[in-house]
Amino acid sequence: MNSRRITAEDLADLDDHELDELEREVERLIAVWQVKNLRGTSVFWFDDQRIGEPRRELHALGHASVDAEALLQFRRTPVVDSLQGNMLVHPLMTPVVEVDERAERARGVWSSLGIEALSKFRETPTAIFSIGFVPGSHVKENGEWRILQGMWQRTTKNEYHAGWVRDMQVTNTRPPLSAEEDRARLGRYAYRPDEVRAAHPEPPRTDTWDEFPDETDDGWQRVNLD
Amino acid sequence: MSEQERRERIARSINTLHAYQDIQNEMGRVVAAFNYRQADKILERFALHLDDVSLEYADEGLFRGPDAVETIVRETVGRTPRPGEMYDVHLTTPVIEVAEDEQTAKAIWWAPGAASLLDENAEPSAVWMWGTIAADFIRVDDSWLIYHLHYFTVIKSSYDKGWVEDTDLVHRANTPLHPKAQSSTHHNPYTPTSVRDALPAVPRPYADYDGPGWMLERDKTK
Repeated sequence: MNSRRITAEDLADLDDHELDELEREVERLIAVWQVKNLRGTSVFWFDDQRIGEPRRELHALGHASVDAEALLQFRRTPVVDSLQGNMLVHPLMTPVVEVDERAERARGVWSSLGIEALSKFRETPTAIFSIGFVPGSHVKENGEWRILQGMWQRTTKNEYHAGWVRDMQVTNTRPPLSAEEDRARLGRYAYRPDEVRAAHPEPPRTDTWDEFPDETDDGWQRVNLD
Repeated sequence: MSEQERRERIARSINTLHAYQDIQNEMGRVVAAFNYRQADKILERFALHLDDVSLEYADEGLFRGPDAVETIVRETVGRTPRPGEMYDVHLTTPVIEVAEDEQTAKAIWWAPGAASLLDENAEPSAVWMWGTIAADFIRVDDSWLIYHLHYFTVIKSSYDKGWVEDTDLVHRANTPLHPKAQSSTHHNPYTPTSVRDALPAVPRPYADYDGPGWMLERDKTK
């Protein structure tokens, strides 16, 4: 047997203040699941990589901080000749999600062990094993949770047989990135055999919305570095 | 909004919150039972009282109806485990939507896994086994039971070769479908020559249950 269904009669003894408190807390807890659903949708869709396919919007394009045109242009830019043989499967694990008092903003960090296959020019694909993080901020837009910020942060990305100590693949772009350019972007905090690992991103702390009240401030991820 | 309506709305929200967690727990128990080869524990979480309860996995076909579901679970999961055999599937990336009427729910998970499979007279083979689980749940009294479950293979490949070099296990051997299986509704695992298609679909908020067709919905604008 799972949880017993609650009815309005179960709440009959609560006064207005208690109802307010209960309602706010329930909304915050539901928001955690809705944000998980949002991020889950994002990574499931990421797998097929079909640029230009009509899809409902997952990002907060209406937020003042978002450059919607640049984001849409980025999505329209191909990085492989054909989708044949390509794959991006990055399951989301280890969720840490903190929702603000009004259940209108949320921050989260997920980790991911992923499998990929990359064929840039219709060549035989390369099998890739990749570990990383999905840190991000989320806001409600038109009644639905949307992604405000957050880019994939790579830890490892290696040809499957080579392993993560011997190999680091750079992000696939056109034109291609040099290792130095890659290090300045998604590979900034990536594993290196000769370095102590940077503690980034920090999962959002319980006081994240008190310490970083601006939803566009991503300093909460860097608290171990500053 | 009247006070009564407000209390009803809050009660619905609490029930939805419980449902999210209950369904995640139930599916976690099913996966644990699969890994431990416990057919009875899997079957007790299916809505076997419903004529159209179903289980579909990989390209082994659709098993519709209580008898077909029970048969395939007992013949596969219920086989006597052998030394060296292992299935270890994990639940990740939950997307769960509970109907407004609180009677059903739709959910998907990515399920990365590893296995040790036994061939006749051979050492166990290390295998990657990653898939996507899509499921409908139905509320029966105060329990959430699986109404329809579909396991979509993403990869099933030798650990040594990896998912690009090993395509041996992508397609089932040329053996007859189980006599109680209906044709597969969808099978598109990763291969070096295939194109991913983001199925099963991601469930969306909904009012009341309208069948398992959402799993194969290609329109992502809804």
